Amino acid sequence: MLFFALARASYSRNLQYRASHLLHNIASALFGFIYLSIWTGIGQGRDLGSYGMAGLISYVALNQCLLWVTAFTNYGLGLPQLVRTGGIAIELARPVHLFYNMMSREWGNIGYQFLYKSVPIYLLYLVVIPLRLPHSISTAFAFLAALVCAAYLSLCVQYLIGAVSLWTTESQWLHWLNHAMLTLFSGFLIPIEWLPGWLGWFSRWSFYPYLQYIPTRIYLGMDGISSLLPSLAWCAGLTLLCLAATALMRTKTEVQGG
Amino acid sequence: MIRDLKGMASMYKLLIRFSFRSSMQYRFNFWLGSTIAALIAFVEFALLAVILSRFGTIQGWSVQESAYLYSILILSKAIYRTFASDVHHLEKYLLSGDLDGLLLRPLPVLLVLMTQNVSVRFGETLLGLGMLAYSLSSLAADDQIQLWIAIPLSVLICLNGGLLLFGIGLATAATGFWLTRIDMLQNLTEDATHTAIRYPLSIYPGWLKGILTSILPVAFVNYMPALYIVRGEAGPWMLALSAAASLVVLGAGAFLWKWGISRYQSTGS
Repeated sequence: MLFFALARASYSRNLQYRASHLLHNIASALFGFIYLSIWTGIGQGRDLGSYGMAGLISYVALNQCLLWVTAFTNYGLGLPQLVRTGGIAIELARPVHLFYNMMSREWGNIGYQFLYKSVPIYLLYLVVIPLRLPHSISTAFAFLAALVCAAYLSLCVQYLIGAVSLWTTESQWLHWLNHAMLTLFSGFLIPIEWLPGWLGWFSRWSFYPYLQYIPTRIYLGMDGISSLLPSLAWCAGLTLLCLAATALMRTKTEVQGG
Repeated sequence: MIRDLKGMASMYKLLIRFSFRSSMQYRFNFWLGSTIAALIAFVEFALLAVILSRFGTIQGWSVQESAYLYSILILSKAIYRTFASDVHHLEKYLLSGDLDGLLLRPLPVLLVLMTQNVSVRFGETLLGLGMLAYSLSSLAADDQIQLWIAIPLSVLICLNGGLLLFGIGLATAATGFWLTRIDMLQNLTEDATHTAIRYPLSIYPGWLKGILTSILPVAFVNYMPALYIVRGEAGPWMLALSAAASLVVLGAGAFLWKWGISRYQSTGS
């Protein structure tokens, strides 16, 4: 099946750099320790709501592990580079839909990042912090389902960012903007119910909480599997947008010199 | 010697002007980039503001004092990234082999890199200045500082901070001459440390404070000088210490660069 062939190829390519990537995990784990220190410093003797200090520490630590699946997907799924080299013309001419093609490759990358980046950091935090374990097997499965939805959402957003590179050379700014928005609105560092006024409103009506906040809440047993329904709706909505963007790309394609 | 430096400075100005003119050929892209960069800085600050609005203070540091720390960081970073531009992106030149072309030019490679793809960080500068104005005026209204002293000192520490961040960036980039891939190291020495000093240093455990004041002394960009300028918890010697930290880091960066470039081997790609 084409999906597995493309995903496996992408996974195997990443495998060549696993030693270097394991080193990268040190930087990522250190980032996590900085965030944990921030909350330990701020939260001492303060009311942290239903989380409590231990819960909030687990919340922040798990969010750091999830970043490799939900946030650090390839910039534009590689489309900006294809536009730059002219390779996009070949990709569009292939007898397979561009979105399906790019998505399949990215799943291989996500699978690799989950196994070689998220899991090692998770295991480290389990021992060092310690990060809580899920309450039950069903919670663990619900969490994994939420994680798959989050990865798919992230993949769709990157595809849309990549599609923009057909019309501007500055799509990397959208990539960074998306990353900054994710930091604030996904509940990555601060639970979204603590966001005031319009910030909270914007977050609740965006897809961002389904990338970090909801999967982590499910893991901590604070939300059930039903909280995934809006996530599925966002997956469907963004898929339609990706298909529409591809249709638009097919009407006129300009490359940057090849 | 002085004539050499003068010549270098005028060459630097000329190259910056050319680079700026070249980026202005794509005006839409230029303004889009500037606007989004400001938006990113705003969103990052909003995160800190949300924490402050919920908890009031961070280990005794008020909203205004925390805004001061953040604004000094953002302005120092804007100075570093505007005036040293592609030093941060050396990896791209190393991987593609484009550095070979730069070596052929009759100019120091560092000077050329500093003037490639210059982007004036308008958005971040405006945001930083706005936050600094808010912070200083609020602190002056509470009689915590005197504006006529705090403003010139703040300008000086921004320049000093820009130099210190440049020094760290230069040292990190120079390791690329041996390692080629430096994004992971930059992640540690630049991204992680810049994130850490958005918040008062006092919230961190001892080992992290030690790193941020000695091995990677980014605390001297904002926190340490602020102890004197804003909090009055240290003497003016803290400013001298901050300047000394910048000189040491810059010296180390320049040494590593000089050493590294003499060992440079092209990737050949």
